[in-house]
Amino acid sequence: MIPTVLADDEVLARQKLRQLLRDEREIEVVGEGMTAAETIDLVRATRPQLLFLDIQMPGMDGFDIATELCSGKIEPAPHIIFTTAHDQYALRAFEIHAIDYLLKPFTRERLSSAVERARKVISLGNQQMTAGSSASRNGNRYTTRIVFKSRGRIVFLPVSDIRWISAEENYVRISTQGESHLLRETMAHLEEKLDPEMFLRVHRSSIVNLQHVKEVRTETDGEYAVVLVNGEKLTMSRGYRSRINEWLTHS
Amino acid sequence: MPSFLHPVTFVGAFTLLGMLFALQEWVSLRSWNNHILVTLKMVMAAWCVHYFLWGVICWMLWWRLRQQIQKAGWFSIVAHFLPLSVALSVLEEIIWVSIFPQLPLGLPRMAFWHRVAFHLDADLMDNLVIFWTGFLLLRGVGYYQLYREKEYATVQLETQFANAQLRALRMQLNPHFLFNTMNSISSLMQTDIAAADKMLEQLCSLLRITLERGDVQLIPLSDEMEFIEMYLAMQDRRFTGRVRQEICVEPDLYDALVPAMLLQPVIENAYTHGLSRLDHDGLIVVDVRRHNSTLTISVVNSGLGLRPEALNGDGRRGVGLANVRDRMQLHYGSHHAFHIEELTHGKVRVTLALPLQFSERPTEKLTGYGV
Repeated sequence: MIPTVLADDEVLARQKLRQLLRDEREIEVVGEGMTAAETIDLVRATRPQLLFLDIQMPGMDGFDIATELCSGKIEPAPHIIFTTAHDQYALRAFEIHAIDYLLKPFTRERLSSAVERARKVISLGNQQMTAGSSASRNGNRYTTRIVFKSRGRIVFLPVSDIRWISAEENYVRISTQGESHLLRETMAHLEEKLDPEMFLRVHRSSIVNLQHVKEVRTETDGEYAVVLVNGEKLTMSRGYRSRINEWLTHS
Repeated sequence: MPSFLHPVTFVGAFTLLGMLFALQEWVSLRSWNNHILVTLKMVMAAWCVHYFLWGVICWMLWWRLRQQIQKAGWFSIVAHFLPLSVALSVLEEIIWVSIFPQLPLGLPRMAFWHRVAFHLDADLMDNLVIFWTGFLLLRGVGYYQLYREKEYATVQLETQFANAQLRALRMQLNPHFLFNTMNSISSLMQTDIAAADKMLEQLCSLLRITLERGDVQLIPLSDEMEFIEMYLAMQDRRFTGRVRQEICVEPDLYDALVPAMLLQPVIENAYTHGLSRLDHDGLIVVDVRRHNSTLTISVVNSGLGLRPEALNGDGRRGVGLANVRDRMQLHYGSHHAFHIEELTHGKVRVTLALPLQFSERPTEKLTGYGV
């Protein structure tokens, strides 16, 4: 079970969270805070692993609370999911390693995905704890998640959720399960940020997540295609073929 | 203030004029062989000082009396400026005479006041002409400035008016679509709480985007299409998969500028008057292309074709589309096209063509990378 604290000054907002979280297995709400001081005391007393935090609270704002909690006085600091009606703090929240940023009003679906993400992070943290190393595998050289705004929402996207990326002139389209997001970004810049162990450029205008590759197929016209686990097919340039073959033989 | 009214340029121009007259006199003196008496230097000095003095006087008139010069009526001109012109002409002559005691040449030495009278006799008329030319010039400048100010104010007013119109037109769009969506949510709340919840979230996302844009009139196509995709996703929920949606945008057009919320009324229209009348196999296609320097957006929907009231713009159907048309007119004048036509099998196509323009700098986007 993940002990969880809810912090929001509005009764109805807390009520909604409490009700929706009731259906989430593993989440156990251990307390609810109405003000900043109350929340900090609660966290001290209950040592939760997860904190749902509203950004605007009486006393201090959510970031002040987060700073207070992460200052080392409380070990281990809880993981934070921000819940707010304001979208302008997303980058700050991302920078202090918040798990997710839920814009009010959010749906059950959206909350579930945030909880799922928290669950993964917490279990990964426990594993690392037992393995005795806290440094991440790639030594922080590569991006493991991206924050952006898409369709009026804030998305904290773990790169592992990306299936493939395609270039569209000055933009890139990031495809995930069932969704795609258009970002003003260049392929070269994005490729630089992504771990080459995980992502492979297969074409001038596409990058694929190797975790989602099922096979490389020779088409009838002699061209090559990368087939993803979900059946999607990407054409591949000859020049990039050796790179994927190398990867296929290694794995 | 026009740059020629800067004291240095102003007095400089007068002195230059004096120099030209001096040259003219020098040439005429030479042709009459009278130049033996006077040097070019002398002629130059006499004329230049003369016009320099007038330059200073006229500039001071402009400096101290511009309001009076520009506003003077006939009475004021006769009662104030006529005596002033004579007084200044005499004053200028006195100063000039005291600078050049050796003039006139070739005549016996005269007393100071005698010399003033001698020169005035020859120059008074010239001096008056200079004064009144200056007077008219300054008055002309006043009229010109007034004209420019009025013109500027008119342009300002026109822009403000156009902006107000555009704002009003954009304001018309939101509530319309807001209330329709609210109604759908209200209806879903009776039957499907999760769907109502989802739709409320979608509506909030749309509102968030709209509020964020604020008053900006022209936005990148990528933003408009993002909005349209969200709107289509919401419509899809209302029509529960009865309508197939296709969007096709040439990627190099994502940064092209289009009026904000241009397409939403067109698509809303396609749903309310076409697709909502079909119970299966609906189709809506949004297609954005470039034709040379024109951006062409077409929306094709299946339905029951056009009915007569659609074309004359009467009834509710007209509101959304008339709004789109008005805004295109305000943004692009005659450089746009708007067509609505019936294709085969009850399909309707709305085509918008507008001048292709790109934003000078790309909009700042929130994107961050990290661990």
